[in-house]
Amino acid sequence: MIVRQGLVIGVPLLIASIIQVTLLSRLGLPGATPDLLVVTVVAVALAMGPVQGAFAGFLAGAIIDVSPPSDTVVGVNSIVYLAIGFVAGYIVDNRDRTVLGMIAIVGLACAAASLGTAVVDSILGSPRVLWDSVPLITLTSTLYGALLAPAVVPLMEWLTKKLAPEVLLEG
Amino acid sequence: MLSRRTRIALAVLVVASLTFVILDLRGGDGPLSSARSAVSAVTGLLQRGAATVFSPVTSAGDWWTTWRNQAGQISELRAQNEELERAVRESASDRARADALDELLRVATAGRYRVLPAEVIAVGPAQDYAWTVTIDAGSLDGIEREMTVINGQGLVGRVLKVNQTTSTVVLLIDASSAVGGRVATTEEIGIVAGTGRQDSLDFQLLDPLAELVIGDSLVTFGSRGGRPYAPGIPIGEVVDITGTAGQLTRVATVEPFVDVSQLSIVGVVVRPPREDPRDSVLPPREEQQAENDDAANDDAANDDAANDETNDDETVDDGASTEADAP
Repeated sequence: MIVRQGLVIGVPLLIASIIQVTLLSRLGLPGATPDLLVVTVVAVALAMGPVQGAFAGFLAGAIIDVSPPSDTVVGVNSIVYLAIGFVAGYIVDNRDRTVLGMIAIVGLACAAASLGTAVVDSILGSPRVLWDSVPLITLTSTLYGALLAPAVVPLMEWLTKKLAPEVLLEG
Repeated sequence: MLSRRTRIALAVLVVASLTFVILDLRGGDGPLSSARSAVSAVTGLLQRGAATVFSPVTSAGDWWTTWRNQAGQISELRAQNEELERAVRESASDRARADALDELLRVATAGRYRVLPAEVIAVGPAQDYAWTVTIDAGSLDGIEREMTVINGQGLVGRVLKVNQTTSTVVLLIDASSAVGGRVATTEEIGIVAGTGRQDSLDFQLLDPLAELVIGDSLVTFGSRGGRPYAPGIPIGEVVDITGTAGQLTRVATVEPFVDVSQLSIVGVVVRPPREDPRDSVLPPREEQQAENDDAANDDAANDDAANDETNDDETVDDGASTEADAP
């Protein structure tokens, strides 16, 4: 059962990471790259709860940090995404969730991810963070996340219902 | 039994018919042929008129017979159309790839670099602030760490990590990247550092008194053994200079030749040239063309001097020149 839950979380994350670096980051959109991984993490948190959300965040960060072409410190994204996954699952009560609320929480999560990785990277001494472009990156990331949310969140919910109904939070 | 009148009429008609037959068989321009042509001229006209009037109906009959096939025809044509459109799109992208490869080949030939072409398949997300890309060639293709990566415009970056079938390339503009650069046509060298921004690099001259003007081009100075940077690769053009000559922190802003937002075909320099190609790889500039022609003899003399310093054995140069077409 644990294995199946892991797969229901892990396989979509893997697909999301591949889409993110081979398609979304190559679109040349202004500002940030649409953060499909964070959206997926929040979708897991909303569908299954804080623990699964945290696990998804950890896994997503590990995937993006380890797979090429990443050159960031491995674990930075894991920490940030883990926190986001947990918090998203913890503070949102699925029973009184609205579509707008769902979009807002995904957008906030994307903003938190952009800011969080910039802060953690800076603390770890990365020379790369450009603080004057952080606001634009954060803002655009929020926007792209909000646009992706209505597609990804219901899909994750449907997957959970089909493949791991025992952890699905009834909405 | 037929009446008498009837019998007479029949007989007349039969005789007339036979007469016609005989007359016709006899041939020649008898009265029959002229009558026939007169009649057929009239009936012909009538037929044409009638055909025009009835054409909607007759063609409707035609349409009716193909009615059942039309749906099939439409879908067939649509499929055909789609295929053609795809072919057109693909030919455009094929042409773009061919152009990119041509450019790469031009640079590789001009600088006598042996390059291995590869294609960018993934780009790191912008929010990581790391300018790294994945290319579709790895250790199985002979890629090793710290090899130079170029394209038809100039220096792209260097190989950071190598897997079996893919490699990670850190781009020139990444904030962690630093390249030894030389001002084209002079001997002034300095350090070109990435800023993390797509359109600017920092260039710090080692000699603060050196002359530098906006519009100067930079090429790589070249690392020992050609790794991580092979010599003579175009880097970019000076667009801004802060500080005056003599100041300790004299930094120029350099716009890279390579547009990283449109990276597709790149080449990994698997073997650097045996001699520094100097400025030969830089694209020719119109205003400098005449100047270069004048200074050609001068340059040649300079190159000879440089060769004498770096290469004791002249036969090595000959070997290098024959290898230019190898890749």
